[in-house]
Amino acid sequence: MIMAGGSVSECKEYLFKVLVIGELGVGKTSIIKRYVHQLFSQHYRATIGVDFALKVINWDSRTLVRLQLWDIAGQERFGNMTRVYYKEAVGAFVVFDVTRGSTFDAVSKWKHDLDSKVKLANGNPIPSVLLANKCDQKKDANSSNPTLMDNFCKETGFLGWFETSAKDNINVEEAARFLVENILANDKGLPYEESNGDRVKLDQDTAVAETKSGCC
Amino acid sequence: MAADNLPTEFDVVILGTGLSESVIAAACARVGQRVLHVDRRSYYAANWASFTFNGLLSWIDDNKQGGQSPEEVLDWSGKVESGEDILPLSTMDTSISNLEVFCYTSEEPEEDEEEKKEDATPISTLSPAPQSEGEEGNQATSPTDNRRNHEGETTLDILSESPPEQQDQEECAPLAEDQQILSSDGEPQGEEQLSGSAPTQAKKKKISYTKIVKEGRRFNIDLVSKLMYSRGLLVDLLIKSNVSRYAEFKNVSRILTYRQGKVEQVPCSRADVFGSKELTVVEKRMLMKFLTFCLDYEQHPEEYQDFTERSFWEFLQNNMLTENLQHFVLHSIAMVPRETHTEEGLRSTQHFLRSLGRYGNTPFLFPIYGLGEIPQCFCRMCAVFGGIYCLRHSVQCLVLDKESGRCKAVIDTCGQRISCSHFVVEDGYIREEQRKGVEHKHISRAVLITDGLLLQSESEQQISLVTVPPLEPGAPAVRLVELCSSTMTCMPGTYLVHLTCPSSGSAREDLQPVVSRLFTKPASAGEEGDGSDERPAVLWAVYFNMRDSTAADRSGYDLPGNVHVCSGPDAALGSDHSIRLAQEVFRQLAPHEEFCPPAPNPEDIVYDGDGGQGEGAGFSEAAQAEEGAAEEAEESKEKEASQESSPVEVGEMPDPPPAPLAEE
Repeated sequence: MIMAGGSVSECKEYLFKVLVIGELGVGKTSIIKRYVHQLFSQHYRATIGVDFALKVINWDSRTLVRLQLWDIAGQERFGNMTRVYYKEAVGAFVVFDVTRGSTFDAVSKWKHDLDSKVKLANGNPIPSVLLANKCDQKKDANSSNPTLMDNFCKETGFLGWFETSAKDNINVEEAARFLVENILANDKGLPYEESNGDRVKLDQDTAVAETKSGCC
Repeated sequence: MAADNLPTEFDVVILGTGLSESVIAAACARVGQRVLHVDRRSYYAANWASFTFNGLLSWIDDNKQGGQSPEEVLDWSGKVESGEDILPLSTMDTSISNLEVFCYTSEEPEEDEEEKKEDATPISTLSPAPQSEGEEGNQATSPTDNRRNHEGETTLDILSESPPEQQDQEECAPLAEDQQILSSDGEPQGEEQLSGSAPTQAKKKKISYTKIVKEGRRFNIDLVSKLMYSRGLLVDLLIKSNVSRYAEFKNVSRILTYRQGKVEQVPCSRADVFGSKELTVVEKRMLMKFLTFCLDYEQHPEEYQDFTERSFWEFLQNNMLTENLQHFVLHSIAMVPRETHTEEGLRSTQHFLRSLGRYGNTPFLFPIYGLGEIPQCFCRMCAVFGGIYCLRHSVQCLVLDKESGRCKAVIDTCGQRISCSHFVVEDGYIREEQRKGVEHKHISRAVLITDGLLLQSESEQQISLVTVPPLEPGAPAVRLVELCSSTMTCMPGTYLVHLTCPSSGSAREDLQPVVSRLFTKPASAGEEGDGSDERPAVLWAVYFNMRDSTAADRSGYDLPGNVHVCSGPDAALGSDHSIRLAQEVFRQLAPHEEFCPPAPNPEDIVYDGDGGQGEGAGFSEAAQAEEGAAEEAEESKEKEASQESSPVEVGEMPDPPPAPLAEE
């Protein structure tokens, strides 16, 4: 389903599932909404009823990327996401809030959790990018030193980090672009897994369309 | 990520993440109830869980220690007011018993697999891979030998028992030999007996235990083995609720059966019947006529009214079906015991036939990544609709109102009091005192990792349901599900075989006779077979019994009226029981609400743009009925729905106008 990069007449289409994780209130939903819907709001509310948001990117003249951004349902906040959430993800953003040091402290935990729950087909961890969100506001100590952050990323296995602000629309687009570049690079280096063509999706269309019985 | 700051008020608190509990959780959250869903385990899906190979080894270790260690009894007096009583819950999980693990493959590292074929299987090395301890091996295996196997051993008293089936088997000459093959791996005297009789596995690549461990994450080993009837309640619910969006499935590709000492394919679809080489032309016509009748047997009561008090078996015989056909219909299509009443047999046959052809050539689907995905799909739906999840978290006790006798709150493992209007709980958390009137049965389970298909075919990727009729009178019929690597439940080159039957003895007593008939063991050290044995080899096996409390009646539990007990899995092939149970409980919790209405498609959710409300979770459901889980349609739809078409703005308004219906 996810890596279904089929090439129809030169144009390649990709569907990538990307996870957005991090502590409660760091702005995961805000980043997604900024990126996908160009919206922002100060009012925090837990995310209800939304699985993922979809962003369609015309990557270049021959590549279309459809990015599914999976928010943790606000209420899986204790880090107990189901496998449904992780499975077949090909990239992740881990978000923390620069104004609250405790949310940065939790980053390694989230990263570790991520790496233990999902892997690429070749067994490597999925590419992930660290987002230091709310950079428009006054920072807590840790994230203010770029060298420290670079080192942290190296140690923890992040591809890199961005200071972002969903509010002022800083670096959100850039961070996404950076992650997608890496996902695409990964994708090119990997052979496709065995065809998933005969997988069955259950939905109301097939339920209605099918004939009464194919048996005798 | 700690659960120390949970809200203190919920509509429903649910303990246990098995299928019924998870469906109830999703249903409640979907209609706006505040749901807290917890499980004391560190994983989802309780006894429905699936594990990586290494995860399964940990699970085995945990259960060998007799469930979780009892927590210290705390003093709740500070949490309770006057007029309240405390009802403690059980802290021990006793639903799994008779765990036994056997490893038949070698522990050599996987490199140079080809060359190392002739290396001896280490007999006495200290290693994580246990040597096999089959029945013959029992006597030869000393306690010291057992101790060295850190995950392979079972309790010693079980091992020292002489297995009851042994005698029976020795009566069947060809099978006694198989039994030795399976049981004497690694035992020197066994090697001698065996030389010359074991098959050569030269054509197959040897897979070592080390390799299995190394590739452990490619396994998703289900504790429960079920298939989904294409027209069963579970499939209908997945579709209706849109929870199906979280999962993908594979068609079960073959129905097989064990008959007269060999495995053969059961013709069940029209194409199968006419394409069958085993059936004569007359039989083909006979079978088609009979199956056509079964499809709407209610319309022809005259055909079976004389048999309503008699068994389905007699009915089949009376219908002049040949012995071949009787076997197929009784064991593989109706899948009922001989003594089943005619009408029930007809109903089972009809259920099978009606599910045929909906998605594929057999009536069954299997979820990619295993059955353990299904409860998690419902949990995800619950979480998306605001349900709060905590694993490794439990409820110590219920707070009862003395006057009404109802449960008004629970006290969690952090000692926090959480009020709720209803409490839903998995059977396993109920103490003996409250379940005196409850009788339960057991399910016998085995999981094998094997190196080949039970019945060779053009494709190595086959998912098969294999029915094995009782090997002797009174024994249960055993059901096998053989999964290939494209189901994402086992590593390439291996197959996962699940065996299930209602228990009459321990899982190994019930199932090993079938295992010894259908499988062999890997060729080892210098053995030269004549290659005549084409049976797949078992590389690794685990046996266990699981409690089946599905027969329990609500009245058997001594519990408040707003405490609802969910039984774990049953031995049946489908999941209808659990879904029906979830629906009943939901009706008591929310009598006037719809059960699992379709969730909106993410692409149909349109946020309003006026900034002030954008962060909110306004969403439109207006188009849901039509949109369904139309993931197939998403390609053409999403561009319009999410971007280009003029979006209807929906914010916090209680009655959102319909979102634009995208044309396909």
